[in-house]
Amino acid sequence: MNDILKGEFVRLSSIDPDEFGKAFSRWHRDSEFMRFLDSSPSQLQSQKGMQKSLEEDLEKQKNDRHWFTIRALDDDKLLGDIDLSIYNWTGRDAFVGLGIGERDFWGKGYGTDVMKVILRYAFTELNLQRLTLTVFEYNPRAVRAYEKTGFRHEGRLRQFLNREGRRWDMLFMGILRHEWMEQNGQ
Amino acid sequence: MRDLFRGELVRLTSEEPGLRAQAEARWQRDTEFHRLADSDPAQIISEKKLKEWFEKQIENGFKPDRYSFAVRTLADDRHIAFFALWLDLIHNEAWVGIGIGEREFWGKGYGTEMMKLCLQYAFTELNVHRVSLGLHEYNPRALRSYQKAGFRMEGRTRQDLMREGKRYDSLWMGILREEWMQMQTGDLHE
Repeated sequence: MNDILKGEFVRLSSIDPDEFGKAFSRWHRDSEFMRFLDSSPSQLQSQKGMQKSLEEDLEKQKNDRHWFTIRALDDDKLLGDIDLSIYNWTGRDAFVGLGIGERDFWGKGYGTDVMKVILRYAFTELNLQRLTLTVFEYNPRAVRAYEKTGFRHEGRLRQFLNREGRRWDMLFMGILRHEWMEQNGQ
Repeated sequence: MRDLFRGELVRLTSEEPGLRAQAEARWQRDTEFHRLADSDPAQIISEKKLKEWFEKQIENGFKPDRYSFAVRTLADDRHIAFFALWLDLIHNEAWVGIGIGEREFWGKGYGTEMMKLCLQYAFTELNVHRVSLGLHEYNPRALRSYQKAGFRMEGRTRQDLMREGKRYDSLWMGILREEWMQMQTGDLHE
């Protein structure tokens, strides 16, 4: 069997609170990254505070959450994280969130590659029925990456966000098990 | 919609830890009940310990892989039994354990009805693909009841039990979603 946690450019790895807390507090200083990641106001968080909250999160982690860091295959650099939470077991639906903190790795196919890996993990390892995500209208690069990996547009919360004096929609995207199976010749 | 928690003889309930502990502490003093329900040596756990155990379950909160019920008769609202389902969430299959503590309700169809309610819950509410159970060869009454509810024999562990100087097998039964669906008549959502 192939290594299911490995893609073409990246691999998924476990979270080291010290290493990831340090990187994540650095990425937090990039307000553009934070606006892509989250709808809450950009805030700064200390390295120590970040490490502590990561440790607490990891402690609480149960079988409904699968959270990984993302590393480049060529030099093992830490690029970001991806977080899959199964919030509806009887419908077997999970919500996925992806963030690449290292700007040098934006727009080069890394996000697409990570998403391919997590889709395979969700459908062949966790045996889920569907995967859901949300993305903001002002992040067309992410939308394209999600479309490329097979996600379809399912809806939008109109004028959900206010950024720089204008309102933007939040988009819902999803992919069903059988759609992924067909695309991947399973 | 069907009432998932009510059959013709019994209904499924959630009992306060104190009440449940009181009943189950009494039931386990019946060693025949214990032997039918379990392969462990019969032991006696205090009502207090049982109560703490049930309280702990409530404290731990909702778990998507464990569903536990108490059972009451419809006729006179007597608390007579329990059952629990444990799910493997990745493979989407469940194990069931069931026990009627009040002896006067043995052999009268109560267990079969409980199992039918249990399967309806597992297949229509939890959406599992299969349900499994284990039982002891020396419990033919349970075997017949499970067959009536739709379980098929899938295998046995030969001579793994020793009771009263004699060896018995453990039996394994299962029912698949499609088999259960075929047994149902009428609209499931009526």
